Amino acid sequence: MHYNIAMVSDFFFPQPGGIESHIYQLSSKLIDRGHKVIVITHAYAGRTGVRYLTNSLKVYHVPFFVVYRETTFPTVFSFFPIFRNIIIRERIEIVHGHGSLSSFCLEAILHARTMGLRTVFTDHSLFGFADAASILTNKLLKFILSDVDHVICVSHTSKENTVLRASLDPLMVSAIPNAVVAENFRPRSPNRESHHRSAPGPPPRLSPNDIITIVVLSRLFYNKGTDLLIAALPRILALHPNVRFIIAGSGPKAIDLEQTIERHVLQDRVTLLGPVRHDEVRDVMVQGHIYLHPSLTEAFGTVIVEAASCGLYVVCTRVGGIPEVLPTHMTEFAKPEEDDIVAATGRAIAALRAGKVRTELFHNQVKQMYSWQDIAQRTERVYDGISGVLSHDEFYQGASTGGWTATRGRAGVQSFALIERLKRYYGCGIWAGKLFCLCVIVDYLLYVFLEIFAPRSRIDLAKNWPKKILKETDVSKDGTGISRKRSSRRREKREDRTET
Amino acid sequence: MLQLLQRLTSPPTQRLTTLQPTPSTVGFTVSTRPVPETLPALLQYYISILLRLITGVCAIAVLLLKWKPDITRNPLSAIFGLWVEQFVAAEVAGSLRWRYVVPAVAAVWYAILRRGYTEESILLLHGLGLQTSTSSSMYLRPATTRFIPTTSIQDIFIHEAFKGFEVRFYLAIVIKGEEDVVVVFPNLLPRREILEVVWRGARKCLYGGGTVVKVKQVEEEG
Repeated sequence: MHYNIAMVSDFFFPQPGGIESHIYQLSSKLIDRGHKVIVITHAYAGRTGVRYLTNSLKVYHVPFFVVYRETTFPTVFSFFPIFRNIIIRERIEIVHGHGSLSSFCLEAILHARTMGLRTVFTDHSLFGFADAASILTNKLLKFILSDVDHVICVSHTSKENTVLRASLDPLMVSAIPNAVVAENFRPRSPNRESHHRSAPGPPPRLSPNDIITIVVLSRLFYNKGTDLLIAALPRILALHPNVRFIIAGSGPKAIDLEQTIERHVLQDRVTLLGPVRHDEVRDVMVQGHIYLHPSLTEAFGTVIVEAASCGLYVVCTRVGGIPEVLPTHMTEFAKPEEDDIVAATGRAIAALRAGKVRTELFHNQVKQMYSWQDIAQRTERVYDGISGVLSHDEFYQGASTGGWTATRGRAGVQSFALIERLKRYYGCGIWAGKLFCLCVIVDYLLYVFLEIFAPRSRIDLAKNWPKKILKETDVSKDGTGISRKRSSRRREKREDRTET
Repeated sequence: MLQLLQRLTSPPTQRLTTLQPTPSTVGFTVSTRPVPETLPALLQYYISILLRLITGVCAIAVLLLKWKPDITRNPLSAIFGLWVEQFVAAEVAGSLRWRYVVPAVAAVWYAILRRGYTEESILLLHGLGLQTSTSSSMYLRPATTRFIPTTSIQDIFIHEAFKGFEVRFYLAIVIKGEEDVVVVFPNLLPRREILEVVWRGARKCLYGGGTVVKVKQVEEEG
């Protein structure tokens, strides 16, 4: 089956970040698999209107008002008319939202359900349960996810967190990790790598007097653990004389960091690089031996995969989804506290000096573990499951049997009926449930209004980007030749239709 | 009921007329002007013109009478002298004031001269250039036109943009040395089918035989 998919999120290029590159990579790999993908995001400075990216990915930069950290102002209904227009003209079947802080994404899922489309939501972050902001966000998330077909989380920890926050059925939540483009994160010398492909040579040993460089690359925010870094930095440097630091990134904590360096007179041993573009990350990474990641909360942590891919030994805190990301021989874990980070860094330095860690093998191992093709394939399976191509038992591996199934009852694989949807929303809370029902009813009335005053017949259909003719050799390599052939036949059919 | 609502809120239908007087000249006109075809429609059309004329003449007559109440004795005004004298003259001279008469007459004439439709066109001359034009909202006022010589045309393409709560297609011309593109039918923004016809025709006319093959390719790809 081939789908027309709309990725909706507030976060997209030109802004750098994990969600942004996730959406881009996933979309382009889905396009390679024969789907049609568009991205709907808000307008950035100097980036408005309709754009095409490489690989014929179409991006709608909807002009909207940005409030906080590139998030648009949550106006529940004002996005609907333009969203409906885009959905109709692109003939979208599945709406895939990203990021629970993106009001764009949450609104899109609500509207898509009103329009009778399949919806998927990907959660990229972890949240707490205690503070006021989290409670509000969680309530909103619960509202939106009351009526969604499937949820994807980037790690099992994130899945657990989302299931609790939005009170979902764990069955309708999948864990599909992020990936990295391993080719962009090669270790320092390519000839050494090719040498290892044939036969691993003796590990290069670091003598006790060789300088070990520790790289830190993160936005300098509280949640990224910059305070821990600031506390641990002078102690690590005091304990290990032949250690240097390279710190890249910017953020509100940069001043604290600079003050610490000045107070302890560490300018000659710590290099601050400031903000680094995503394509320069590799060049910074390969200058070091150890990557230190002191984050306090992290759903997945793509950056540590990138670091390992560059051949760095990773020291990180055991929080969130991080322990799932890399195998134990690539990482040294620490508790998120000052003493333990100092200790773990010490262990890592000792291990490197002793030559116990084969960092030069990391790249190929990471390459095998994480690839976007694999992620796209797994996401495609989710799409198949929610649109009924895979049978219910096949999709959920026979997890729930019997007449009433939790997933169907909850996610409503079949039912788009307003009354069914209202039942789901009503369960959100004593007051919230009624409020949400009201919102949904207004949304539905708005939909009816639009159908009358901006009928579908008045909306031009956008033409699809002419697809590349795939070489059959490429296809057979993937092992999905059969489905590809089917797809090409279907494509022909679709072309016939557009011509008539 | 729903259909009635839809019809009332729908924008006027646009029609494309192609004019090719010589092989190297082609004009495309998009217009919202309704073309009367049936007999009642034709009658309605001519009657409305007649009504407009009569209303206009009456408005002028009122103005004249106000200005010179004794104008009816003038031989020039003998054409409509008699009935105007009987029905209007006395009252106009007496009761109406200048401050009401002048705006009222101006409003009537504005209503009469207002064009009920928009007409936008592009005229292409092989080897010379192209001219875009947009009709004015009033009769008697000339259309806004712009001529672009072939040497400064860099490209002509169809793209999409946000307009209100919609995404619309538009036909744009890239001009050498200008920051913004020129949109060809800026007010009407016709639908994709019309734009594609115009785009193909424009490319064929501007770039001659060489790009005919290219156009065909695009057709196949779509």
